Amino acid sequence: MAIEISNRLGLANVKSDYIHTAGRKLEDIHERLLELEAKGEVKVIHVKDENKPIEAETLLGWKKKIPTNKLWHHKSCGQCGNIPGYPVSLLWFMNQMGLEYVDERNQTSCTAWNYHGSGTSNPVGLAAVAVRNWHRAYELGLFPLFHCATTFGDYKEMRNLLVENKELRDEVRRIMQKIGRDLVIPEYIVHYSEWVHVMRFEIAKLKKYDLSSVIATVHPACHTYKMIPEDCIYDKDIYAGKRTAVSTGVMLALGAQVADYSTWYDCCGFGFRHILTEREASRSFVMDRKIRPMVREAHSDVCITQDTGCTTTLDKNQWIGKAMGYTEQVPVMADVMFAALACGADVFKIVQLQWHTTDWRPLCDKIGIDWKKSEEEYNAYLEELKAGGKTVNLYEYPKS
Amino acid sequence: MEYDENGVSIVPAELKKEIFEEARKDFRYEEYVRGCLNCGVCTGGCPPHRFFDFSPRIVLQKMKSKDPELIWTMMDEYVWACFQCFTCAMICPFLNSPGGVIAILREIAVRRGFESAKKVLKPYSRVLLKLTAYGNQLSPDMIQPDFFPDWGPHIGYASTDLAVKRKAIPMPTLQVTNLAWDVAPETMKELYDIFDEAGVFKIIEAVDPSLYEIIQDIVDDVRSS
Repeated sequence: MAIEISNRLGLANVKSDYIHTAGRKLEDIHERLLELEAKGEVKVIHVKDENKPIEAETLLGWKKKIPTNKLWHHKSCGQCGNIPGYPVSLLWFMNQMGLEYVDERNQTSCTAWNYHGSGTSNPVGLAAVAVRNWHRAYELGLFPLFHCATTFGDYKEMRNLLVENKELRDEVRRIMQKIGRDLVIPEYIVHYSEWVHVMRFEIAKLKKYDLSSVIATVHPACHTYKMIPEDCIYDKDIYAGKRTAVSTGVMLALGAQVADYSTWYDCCGFGFRHILTEREASRSFVMDRKIRPMVREAHSDVCITQDTGCTTTLDKNQWIGKAMGYTEQVPVMADVMFAALACGADVFKIVQLQWHTTDWRPLCDKIGIDWKKSEEEYNAYLEELKAGGKTVNLYEYPKS
Repeated sequence: MEYDENGVSIVPAELKKEIFEEARKDFRYEEYVRGCLNCGVCTGGCPPHRFFDFSPRIVLQKMKSKDPELIWTMMDEYVWACFQCFTCAMICPFLNSPGGVIAILREIAVRRGFESAKKVLKPYSRVLLKLTAYGNQLSPDMIQPDFFPDWGPHIGYASTDLAVKRKAIPMPTLQVTNLAWDVAPETMKELYDIFDEAGVFKIIEAVDPSLYEIIQDIVDDVRSS
């Protein structure tokens, strides 16, 4: 019987500009981006001195400049809709530190939650949305800071695809011209958790409480460190450089104990589609693979997250677990929210824990935070607002 | 699409071949499908593998087989089990991305309006409406006890006095109830143009024609405002 060899040449004679090790590209996409800029192919949003950058190292030891000032907040759908204390805590810190930023109405969703849940988009659509939002930061002279891990993962992927594919660049450029914008790409794609990480020692200076008795378990978000894994911060002094350093770094700087647990690597069970339409899968995953190991193995007082979907999934699905005998419970909040609590931010007005489902009060009691006083003041504030009072804002966005 | 007495779709071999060719022509395909040791590391680490009949190793093996019949067997419910966490892509020794392959196959399923895709995405339509018509995905007024009873009694907190509670959030962009943040109409119009040009509206029309009509009504209103 004749054997058909359908792949006689295969990749053997295909040339590449890249050097690979175990299949992974060694060239930093950052260098390729600057080459494209030099050829006039793209415009780049550079990290400038006025952005007061702090350097960090990524998985392969490459340097990444994290801008800490003059930032454009790229908000997250799920945080703003469901966990408002998440972005508020971040802005609160920036106010405490006297940093400049813009938070405005002129921003769309990255649309990547929808894409990963439903498949109802494509690379051109995703890349065009990304460039649209990047360009908005560019025209304001600011550097974009992405709040959501899925945005971070998606935008890292879109940046790489745009740098590597001329056809995609041409198509996105055409669409940008249609809406009066240009093809711009940020020098670095920066997640808020990276900002928190490089600012952790400044944050720790604001600390109001002793956290040495608090045991935290960290849930690293998949789209932070599993999507384009080479572009994620690692630090030789944190987990010996073997796991991503973000979130854990700020917890250590604040003096909390960070405990290990066997399923740290697992996702939260969000699933993008599953959290909305197939929740039995999400909740089973939450209880079996995350919350129970965190409590049983680590005696965790708090689960620390760095993303929107993880915070929601891990927090909201503990209540129903009781019906199946899962008695383990642990409050869930993002690194920046916990840091804000530790630095004296108001539990209700700033950290907004009242929206969370799993009880966070025992954690506040353990730290010594008077949440009852905060609740009374918040309720009085709501009455004032009902009576026509004015909101005390952290920031006023440009009206135009 | 036609189905036999067992509910299995009757599909001509030519269509199955077309599906495979469509996937293979995707410019991301060569990045996602490389060598496969069949080691199963991806499946060992795959979260949905614990709860569904889903294995990223099988996804890769079927793609590597280049057999349209085998690839077709994944096009119905199979591809929708994936969590899109990309654990598989990170831990694969050869840097395959079964999660990326799934994304390509899902795109094909919705673009072609497969019945299975329509069925899976039907309960998702409210989210699709929010995102495509208004520019962000999850609004506070969607968190209602009747939709999320399994999230416990506290979920009712978000549905009472919502407007004043949102007003108390000290970020003006968040002081709305029907959107995650207040998106300017001019910004929405730019998003609509992107969706038009990139073919996103066409995809939604293929997978949910009645939802598409509702979205277009909103889009027309915003565009004419």
